[in-house]
Amino acid sequence: MKPVAFDYERPGSLDEATRLLAEGGSMAKAVAGSQSLGPMLNLRLAQPDLLVDITAISELRTVTERPDLIEIGACVTHADIEDGRIPDATRGLLAFVAGHIAYRAVRNRGTVGGSLAHADPAADWVSAFPLLGAEVVTQSSRGARTIPAETLMVSSFVTGLEHDELIRAVRLPRLSARARWGYVRFNHKAGEFPHAIGGIIHDPENGRFRAVLGAIESAPIVVADAAILFGGPYDRDIEKRLDERAVLDLLDARGVQDDYNRRLTLVALRRAAAQASRA
Amino acid sequence: MRAFTIEINGKAVTAEAEPRTHLADFLREQRYLTGTHLGCEHGVCGACTVLIDGRPARSCITFALACEGAQVTTIEGLRDDPVMADLREAFSDNHGLQCGFCTPAMLVSCRDVVMRLPEADEARIRLELSGNLCRCTGYGGIVAAVKSVLQTRKAAGARPSAVHDGLGPVGARAPTARQGEQTARTPIAADTPSAAGGRPAAQIRETVTAEQWLAVETDGMELLQSFRVAHPRAQVWRFFEDIEQVARCMPGARLTGPVVDGRGDGEVNVKLGPIVGAFNGTVEVERDEADFSGRVRGAGRDPRSGSSARAIIGHRLEAVDDMATQVQISVKFLLSGPLAQFGRSGLLKDIADHLTQLFAANLEAAMSGKQAATGPDTTLDAATVARAALWRRIRALLARLAFWR
Amino acid sequence: MAKNGVGARAKRKEDERFLLGQGQYIGDLRFPRMRDVAFVRSPVAHARLKGVVIPDHLRESVFTARDLAGVRPIKAVSPLPGFQISEQPPLVTDKIRQVGELVAICVADTRAQAEDIAAQVLLDYEELPAVVDMHEAREPGSALVHDTVKGNVYVSVGFDGDIDTVAAVAPVKVTRELRTARQVMSPIECRGFIAQWDARLGQLIVHGATQFPHVVRTGLADVLGVPEIQIRVVSPDVGGGFGYKAILAGEEVCLSWLAMRVGYPVRWLEDRREMLVANANCREHFYAITAYADKAGKILAIDAEAAVDTGAYSAYPFTAAIEASQVSAILPGPYDIPVYRCNTAAVATNKAPQLPYRGVARPGVCFAMELMIDAIAREIGREPHEVRAANLVRPEQMPYDNVTDKHFDSGDYPQLLRMAIDAIDVNGVRARQQRGPENGRLIGLGMAFFSEQTGHGTTADGKRRVLYEQCFARLTPDGRLEVRAGIQSIGQGLETTLAQVASECLGIDIEDVQVKLGDTELSPYSSGAWGSRGMIWAGGATARACKELAARVAHMGAALLQTDIESVTVRDNAVYGPNGNVSLRDIARAYYLAPNELPGDTDPHGLEVTGGFSPTRVTGMHSGSAHACIVAVDPETGGVEILDYVVAEDAGTLVNPMIVEGQIWGGAAQGIGSALFEEMPFDRQGQPLASTLADYLLPGCPEVPNIRIFHMETPSPYTEFGIKGVGEGGAIGPGAAVANAINDALKAYGVEICEIPITPRRILQAMQSVAMSKGPAMTGGEPARMPRTTP
Repeated sequence: MKPVAFDYERPGSLDEATRLLAEGGSMAKAVAGSQSLGPMLNLRLAQPDLLVDITAISELRTVTERPDLIEIGACVTHADIEDGRIPDATRGLLAFVAGHIAYRAVRNRGTVGGSLAHADPAADWVSAFPLLGAEVVTQSSRGARTIPAETLMVSSFVTGLEHDELIRAVRLPRLSARARWGYVRFNHKAGEFPHAIGGIIHDPENGRFRAVLGAIESAPIVVADAAILFGGPYDRDIEKRLDERAVLDLLDARGVQDDYNRRLTLVALRRAAAQASRA
Repeated sequence: MRAFTIEINGKAVTAEAEPRTHLADFLREQRYLTGTHLGCEHGVCGACTVLIDGRPARSCITFALACEGAQVTTIEGLRDDPVMADLREAFSDNHGLQCGFCTPAMLVSCRDVVMRLPEADEARIRLELSGNLCRCTGYGGIVAAVKSVLQTRKAAGARPSAVHDGLGPVGARAPTARQGEQTARTPIAADTPSAAGGRPAAQIRETVTAEQWLAVETDGMELLQSFRVAHPRAQVWRFFEDIEQVARCMPGARLTGPVVDGRGDGEVNVKLGPIVGAFNGTVEVERDEADFSGRVRGAGRDPRSGSSARAIIGHRLEAVDDMATQVQISVKFLLSGPLAQFGRSGLLKDIADHLTQLFAANLEAAMSGKQAATGPDTTLDAATVARAALWRRIRALLARLAFWR
Repeated sequence: MAKNGVGARAKRKEDERFLLGQGQYIGDLRFPRMRDVAFVRSPVAHARLKGVVIPDHLRESVFTARDLAGVRPIKAVSPLPGFQISEQPPLVTDKIRQVGELVAICVADTRAQAEDIAAQVLLDYEELPAVVDMHEAREPGSALVHDTVKGNVYVSVGFDGDIDTVAAVAPVKVTRELRTARQVMSPIECRGFIAQWDARLGQLIVHGATQFPHVVRTGLADVLGVPEIQIRVVSPDVGGGFGYKAILAGEEVCLSWLAMRVGYPVRWLEDRREMLVANANCREHFYAITAYADKAGKILAIDAEAAVDTGAYSAYPFTAAIEASQVSAILPGPYDIPVYRCNTAAVATNKAPQLPYRGVARPGVCFAMELMIDAIAREIGREPHEVRAANLVRPEQMPYDNVTDKHFDSGDYPQLLRMAIDAIDVNGVRARQQRGPENGRLIGLGMAFFSEQTGHGTTADGKRRVLYEQCFARLTPDGRLEVRAGIQSIGQGLETTLAQVASECLGIDIEDVQVKLGDTELSPYSSGAWGSRGMIWAGGATARACKELAARVAHMGAALLQTDIESVTVRDNAVYGPNGNVSLRDIARAYYLAPNELPGDTDPHGLEVTGGFSPTRVTGMHSGSAHACIVAVDPETGGVEILDYVVAEDAGTLVNPMIVEGQIWGGAAQGIGSALFEEMPFDRQGQPLASTLADYLLPGCPEVPNIRIFHMETPSPYTEFGIKGVGEGGAIGPGAAVANAINDALKAYGVEICEIPITPRRILQAMQSVAMSKGPAMTGGEPARMPRTTP
């Protein structure tokens, strides 16, 4: 189970990387920690002609802080976040999510940008970043653009990125000191991809009340105004107000038909709400 | 082959590796460091875990060239490490190993736990070791060994040790020497086995029996789409008469020859994220005038992956009124080979669902005289479509159709 | 000298090399000029192969069945009456019968290049309807996997008791359908072989990850038509076996043929994908059982229909009969059941052939029988352990011949059961349950009891066991002992335990003993490592050899001490007489280097002995075991956590309690895998749907609880030291114990799940179907992970 032969470049700058990708056409593929792409290459499910390794680009391995937001470079790893090597702008939510992704050895190389670009629906970041209202900053030879995280992923393994377009960073609004969050994932065994994700955040400073339903074998459902799921604004014991019908309607609309997945998603969201309540 | 330098077990080494060679194969086949084992080559079993820049990482899904300039430590390089010496003794005392195959990598992970998490309790130890599968011991002896080493170290006043506090994947370094130069990449020589990406030259004509088509009907994954066009049914029906026109609406699909007596050759190129498929095969077209329905049956093989696909794409037209027609599209398909065996069938369904949506949207666009989202002979790169305004239309369409699904 | 003979908790001699990463597994061996092999495998389950298209520039590197002229198909024939014989060609000749079947060999400098070549070979085939379901396979009109296997049944094995008489009067009748999933044994090291031709010796040398090098040698000789003396099979360190490496399969046959053809060493290392989608599977049983009992739960009769989905071929050497015949023979379990009827069919399907996995049919049988016990208990309103106690064979009945003529040699089953009841604290758990759910989770208690026939030959495996297992022992001139045995170590610590046996018999320190395994050239013939036979048979043979050696050493020692033989003892690395001692080292030196010191009547066989052993009865030594566990079930998510797990085990005399505990721990972890996680699903076309370990879930460290073990030692009357087998036992109980515990937890919901693995999905589905029907539901439907068509 070895990959097909491909060429490999490890550029030192974004310009060089996007140029290589543009030249390589649709058979060129960007790679960061290779923890998702690696298995697909080994299984020959992915058969690129060229890999462009972006981990040597130092600006992708940085974090920028601003008063209202934090910008995490695409090549920051799950372990970097888990271990607190980047400032905590989300009251522990990112570290909590990061620490449960796959296994420690994978987290030491797997990156946030790689995970978003790979767009596995069961991956955590494709749910967690939209939950936080993050934006994804991308770069191509035509310049940079900013995409709301919730519209980046289109369906399983499919994103709106162009073939020569890289994720440069994830831009996260800070959660205030009064913000609460809940994030619950169910898997059958530790380290496995989750079978359901439910997440909510509420930040009284700016009134943001968001929810996500993830790992639904398709792009996650992001609810910008979670009040519609709880019959009103955030309040104490919010989990008791979860409107199951509203959740099921959302799942219906997305074509999530599997009963197990639907029920688990409901429970995940309710427990995420309970977690926020207790926080 | 590419020359590169890497530090292995404390010694700088200049070596050569193919870009596709993962670190484990490089260590084992070229450096004869066979203590690092391969158990799955997809990052789950953990038998290949080594230290890169002092932290555990999977050497089976990390390419050797990606470790240029990095420090790699294998079990062989930890012989004189004091923590490892304690762990070895504790493993032997607590029967933490049987066949020994997972053991070197298990030790690497245990060492990480001991050094990073001196306060770890049993539950934490177990969680931290979840990425190293052992099939022999039932883990009891391993956990006992880690606990005993933690206790001994605690008694001796050991503190957690920080390693590599930079951001980014372990192993990530400055660019390789060649970077920045405008060097052309070396093409693969035509006579090597790797030529043509390992694609077969010949083609096989699929023969599909009635029984197998029945299997597609009864067992295939089914996807449905429906949309309304503002044209009378007879006009829409004429549209479906032109098979080439219909095929053009299937993203990535192309007829490779004329359709004679309802039969022809075709291909479908699919690229979804990292997955690439190029299915060559045959199509058969049937129409039922009385019922305003028809179907295209396609069977093709993707020589790259060895996967086969069979699909029955049906359409049925229902007159809404004189000026509008409801078009029902159904796709049923069966896969065999590696793609079918790629366990997460839900994802395949999602991908197929996505394709079907694009197909329906393209049909709708074509019938309405609008530009289709994808050209007839482009590989289906769903991202291309997703970028287009079309995606918003599909989303809207989906929302409309929710009740029907 | 430290006491490290039989019974010592000695540290393992083999540990050091493994801990240093110096184990030598098949993938670690390097030979000059060695090249790699990848196989072209069938992507479909059932088809007529019409042609293999090889690009011109690769013709030298690709070999098909046509090239293998003279190589015979692999044939594993059971002597059971009615067994229908099938043949397995090493490479497909005309018909493909399973996904992953070997079609062509590709050889190149590296595995990656060999895979590149394989990807360029095109198969021309015409698909046939796949036989995927073991019930549909037996329906009239089903396609046939083999023309020679009528009705797709390799063999049916049964017992025919007079059920009707009991049925007419029995006050309690309980009927269930039960299923166990198809599994993959999944040692962490996959299979692998290296074959080379030694021109000097005129010998084919095959290195391979196998549990029985001698059996592979015999099989290769047969299939290749090469005299067995011209084949040497070497098994290096083996990274786990569990039955998966007890087979002669097409890959090693092809590799051996190729080495003889090309003249350079060739290597094939199985990868995980090949293991999961192409190579041997196991388990997959179906049971329909009716139990008749009295109102106290005493079973009056068992009436069963069973089937085993045996797959596409009769695997060598154990045949397609082993699993099914064991099902029929051991379903009555440890119980005194007066009337028994059972028919079990070994069904041919277009799936990978089945191999006997740790415990063979016992985990399935135990699961079925122990769920029946709990069902009876529920029916009559008693504690399940009371029903067990009411039916267990009692110690005063030992030795006991049961309804299927199984001979239970010894043991106290009721006492074992009491040990487990006390250890898990049944009353405590019942009180805990009375207090209600804990953090929303339901508490459940489950038990399982089984009697495991160990170290036996079976009628199903073609009687493929040696009459006597043998072991060679030699005292070397430096006074150390080398023990050579044909049995193979696959992680079970034989380098230590055989040394302990030698130490016990010869009084030698285990540090001075080296156990050498794994080479047909250097060891007496052995049936290999399977069936919990290692310590019984190879341990027995080692004892016999070392006892004989001890007698000879005593004779020489007495001569050197100038005393008579009756007055000496052999112990502590020496022979002791009334007035002094002489070390083994001095005796060995005398024998080899100063023979004039020894008398003329010294045994001409010297200090080398080949000892042979067979138990006094070969019907197996019965180890008994009770498993008990407590689970917490989350009724909202179907999540299951095992809170406590205890095993009470009687494995006779323990040679090394630490190693025995390791076997039970590891076996129980695998059993927990069967109970909660492991399942190889197929679609209706016979496509296996789990090709990675992200889909085929093996229990990891957090999923396995701390297993508490309690020993009972009832020596077997038929073996050296009273040893019984224990390698498989741990894996047998968990399916039943965990399932019973989950059903106990879900009792209030009226849910009873009768198939394993019990995944969260299955739990939620069962609860939902009960909620919808408002009546008790028993699931046993199709694998829940089968992709369903969407309306």
